[in-house]
Amino acid sequence: MSFKSAVITFPGSNCDRDALCYLKDLTKGEVHNIWHEETSLPKVDLVILPGGFSFGDYLRSGAMASKSKIIDEVVKHANDNRYLLGICNGFQILTEIGLLEGALIRNKKLKFLGKNCFIKKKFKNNFNLSIKDSQILQIPVAHNEGNFYCDTETLNLLKNNEQIAFEYCKGEFSNFEENINGSIEAIAGITNKKKNVLGMMPHPERAYSDFHQSQDGRLIIESLIS
Amino acid sequence: MNEELILQHGLTLDEFQVIRKYLNRDLSIEELGIFSAMWNEHCCYKTSKKWLKKLPTDNEIVIQGPGENAGVIDLQDNDGIAFKIESHNHPSYIEPFNGSATGVGGILRDIFTMGARPIATLDSIRFGLIETEKTKYLLNGVVHGIGHYGNCIGIPNIGGECEFESTYDFNNLVNAMAVGHVQKDKIFYSKPKSIGGLIVYIGSKTGKDGIHGASMASDVFSEEDEDEKRPSVQVGDPFMEKLLMEGCLELMSSGLIESMQDMGAAGITSSSVEMASKGNVGVYINLDKVPLRQPLSAYEILLSESQERMLAVIDKKNNHKVREILQKWQIDYEVIGEITDTKRVMFESNNKKVVDLPVEIIVDDAPEYDREFYIPRKRKNKDFDFSKIKLEDMIINLLTNLNYLDKSWVFDQYDSTVMGDTIREPGQSSGIVKIHGTQKVIGASTDCNPLYIRINPYEGMKYTVAESYRNLIACNINPLAITNNLNFASPLDPNIMGELVLSIHGLKTAAVKFNTPIVSGNVSLYNQTNEIPIKPTPVIGMVGSNMDLNKINTNKFSEIGNKILILGKQLTKNCSPYLLQDQKIAFNICEFNDLEVIDLDFEKKIANCVLELSDLKFIMSCNDISRGGIFSALLKMQYKDMGFRVKVHDPIDLFCEYSAGYVIEIRSKDFEEVTSFLTKKGAEYLEIGEIIKEGIEINSKKFDYFDIMNKYRNDFEKIIS
Repeated sequence: MSFKSAVITFPGSNCDRDALCYLKDLTKGEVHNIWHEETSLPKVDLVILPGGFSFGDYLRSGAMASKSKIIDEVVKHANDNRYLLGICNGFQILTEIGLLEGALIRNKKLKFLGKNCFIKKKFKNNFNLSIKDSQILQIPVAHNEGNFYCDTETLNLLKNNEQIAFEYCKGEFSNFEENINGSIEAIAGITNKKKNVLGMMPHPERAYSDFHQSQDGRLIIESLIS
Repeated sequence: MNEELILQHGLTLDEFQVIRKYLNRDLSIEELGIFSAMWNEHCCYKTSKKWLKKLPTDNEIVIQGPGENAGVIDLQDNDGIAFKIESHNHPSYIEPFNGSATGVGGILRDIFTMGARPIATLDSIRFGLIETEKTKYLLNGVVHGIGHYGNCIGIPNIGGECEFESTYDFNNLVNAMAVGHVQKDKIFYSKPKSIGGLIVYIGSKTGKDGIHGASMASDVFSEEDEDEKRPSVQVGDPFMEKLLMEGCLELMSSGLIESMQDMGAAGITSSSVEMASKGNVGVYINLDKVPLRQPLSAYEILLSESQERMLAVIDKKNNHKVREILQKWQIDYEVIGEITDTKRVMFESNNKKVVDLPVEIIVDDAPEYDREFYIPRKRKNKDFDFSKIKLEDMIINLLTNLNYLDKSWVFDQYDSTVMGDTIREPGQSSGIVKIHGTQKVIGASTDCNPLYIRINPYEGMKYTVAESYRNLIACNINPLAITNNLNFASPLDPNIMGELVLSIHGLKTAAVKFNTPIVSGNVSLYNQTNEIPIKPTPVIGMVGSNMDLNKINTNKFSEIGNKILILGKQLTKNCSPYLLQDQKIAFNICEFNDLEVIDLDFEKKIANCVLELSDLKFIMSCNDISRGGIFSALLKMQYKDMGFRVKVHDPIDLFCEYSAGYVIEIRSKDFEEVTSFLTKKGAEYLEIGEIIKEGIEINSKKFDYFDIMNKYRNDFEKIIS
C-alpha cells in the first residue's frame, strides 16, 4: 500500500510548496494539496499543516486558520487515528484548534529567529521511531512565536504521558545555544495523548534533499512509513 | 498659479514655465501634482540620465534591460532571471520599520509584475555610528522591517551587507534587491497590447499613506523635517502582498492579463503614465471607481502611495474570469478605465475632467540636466608610519569594529531557508539558491566600497564591481549581470556630481571588461542632512549562475590539515584604505594616498583560475579577500571549531587589501597539481599555512581561539544593544 498524504494551504501559508515537495520526494505516494475552503478531505495517511503566516498571523498566530472550513475535516482525520503533523505555523494552528496542549508565545529575545537548530528525541512515538535516542538532528527554524509555554500541571501531564517528542539541544560545536527560543524545558515538539498528532517548530521539509545543509528531516517521514 | 505652490511641488519655476508654455493654459492642481511626481529625480532621472545612458546594458543573455520593472537575463532552456535593486533610504530614516518593510514589498512587486516568482532577496543597509541611540533605533527598526515583510511573504533572504560609518548618521541607506525566476515565454511587460483594453485596479484599497513619497525621496533633509514627513511613509502589509503575488501569478499563468504595472512610487499616476508611454497609447481612468480606504480627493488618489496595488490591462471578455481568481485570493478588484488611442492621460472625478495631458509632455519632455561637475584633485603620495603597529592591536581593532564582526544578529532575523531551495545563506561571500526543479543555481551579492570611491570615484568603482565579481567567483558562480543603486548626496554640488559621473564611468569600464551588463537600477540623490553629504555609495548587485549545483564552493573551512593558499595581488600598505582607516593610521579623507590602478584583466585571469580549479574539485573552500585583508577572510571561513596556522613575511600583510584576492583551501595531496596549474597559468600564489583544530596561530604566536571567536560571533549583539 502506498503512503498517501495531503497538505492544507491557507491564505498566507508559505511552506506549503516545500511540504508538498517533501512528501512527494520521500513518500513516493499520492500527495494532495487542499485549499482551506474545501469541506472534504481525501482519505490519507498523513495531513500536514504547513508553516507560514496564515491569515497574516493577525489576531494571534494560527488563530484565524483554526476557524477555517477545512478544520472540521482535519479534526475528524485526527480522531480517526491517522497522522497529523503541524510544522511551525501548523503547530501554532494545532494549539489554537486545541488538538495539542500549550501555546507558542514570542521568542525570548522578542525577535524572529531564522537559523539552524539542533534537536533530539525525548519520548518515542511513531514520528521519531527511526531516530536513535542520542542522535542530534540539525534542522532549521524560522519563527517569531516558537517559545512553547504551558502551566506546570500541563507540563507534568505532557511528561507523564510521554508527549514531548523533541527538545532543543546543543550542537556538536561551540557556537550553538541550547534553548534557542526560551521554550519551557526546551520543548521543540509535542504530540497529543494518542501520539498521532505532532506539532513541531523546526522545519524538517527544509532539511531532506541532498543539497540541503542537513538531511535529518527525512527521518520523520521514514519513521512514519516504516 | 502661485510660485510657492509650484516650489512646494518640487518643480523649479523654469520647469513650470516649460509645461505652461507647452499647454498654453493653466494647470489644475491635480496636473501640478502629476508633474511633481513624474519630474522628480526618483521617477525621471533628470540628473543622472545623461550619464546612465553610457552604461552597457545589453549582451547575448540580456532579455530585458533597464526601462521595465526589472531586468531579465537568459539562463538557458526556458529559464529567465528577473532582478533589480531599489532604495528606500528616506522613508527608512523617518520610520525605519515601515520604511524598510515597504522597500522590500516594492522590489518584490517589481519582480512579480514581470511574471516572475521571487526566489531570493538581499539587502544592502548602511547606518551611522552605533554610539548614538538613534542609530540603534534605526538598525533595529530597519532589520525588523525587512525581516517582517520578507519572512511573512516567504521569500528567502540570502545576503547583503551592513556597514556603519559616520556620514550615514542622518541618512541611513536601505537598498533592497530581489531575484525572481520566470519562464522566458511568459514574461510580462508594462506595454498594453490593444486599444479598448480594460484598465483594472488590483489589490489594497487606496489611503492617504505615502502622498508625495516620490518627491520626498528627492529632497534634502533637515533634522526638523522628520516629524512633518512621517505621514508620507507608506505602511506595508506583507500578508496582502502574498495574496496579491499569488493572485497575479495565477492570472498571468492563466493568460488572462495583457500587461501589468505595479503602483509604486507616485502610485496610480506613475503606473498609468508608464503604461501609456510604453504602448504609445492613451489612458482614461475614472477616479471615482478606485477602491478607497477613506474619503480622498482626486489629487490625493492620484498621488497616494498605498502599498500592495497593481494596475493591469485585460481583454473585456476576461473580466469575469479575472474576478473569480481574485475573489479566491480575497483581493479587491475594480475596472477603473480603459486604454484609448488619444495618446493623452485623462483622469475623471465627479464627472469632471481633472487631468488631460499629452503623454509626451510628461514623459518625453521631462527635464534632463547636464549639471556641472568637478574632477577630484590628484592626491600626493606619502609614506605612513607603521612602526608602532602591533599584531595584537590590529586584531583588537578589527574585533571592536562592527564592520568586521559576524552579522548573524541581522541575518538570524531573516528567514533564509523558506522555499526549500537555499544553498548558501547570508554570511557567505554570495547567497545561492537553486532554480526549483533543476540543477541550476543562481548566486547574488551586493557590494560597495564608499571609502574607495570617495578617494577615487573612477578606480574605486572598478574595485567595487571587482569585489562583487570575486564574491561570486569564490563560490564558483559565473558572474552574468548587474543591477545598481546609485546613492549620492546632492548633485547640485559639483564635487558630488563629479563622484556620480566618474563612478558611472568606472562602472561602465568594469562591466564591459567582465561582460556583466547593467540590466536594471535605481538612483537615490540628495542623501545629505545638515550639509553633511553621505560618502558616495553606488551599490552593485551582481547575479551569476552555475548550471550544476554540485560544483558550488563553500566559503567555510572543510578539513583540518588542509593547506591555505593566497591568490591575487596585495595592495601596498600605504594604499590600503581600509587598513589605514580601521587601524587608525589615517583619519581624514584628505590624508589618504590615491588608489592603485586595478588591473581588471588580472582580475579575470585569477578568476578563471579559481573557476577552473573549482570545476576540477581541487578547491575545498574559498573566500575572497576584501576589507580587513587575509585575516578577516580567514575569520569568516572558520567553521566547526576549525582555525588556522599561518606564516607571513610581515603581519601587516595579513590586513592589507587585495586585487583579485582569494583565500583557497586545498588538500595536501593536491598541492603539487594545484601549484603547477597556477604556475602554468602565470598566476602567482602564496602558501601561507594550514587549517588547525581550535587554534589561531600567526608567525608562531598563539592566540586564544575561543576568545577571538566569541568576540567575533557575539560582540556585534553586545555593541548594538
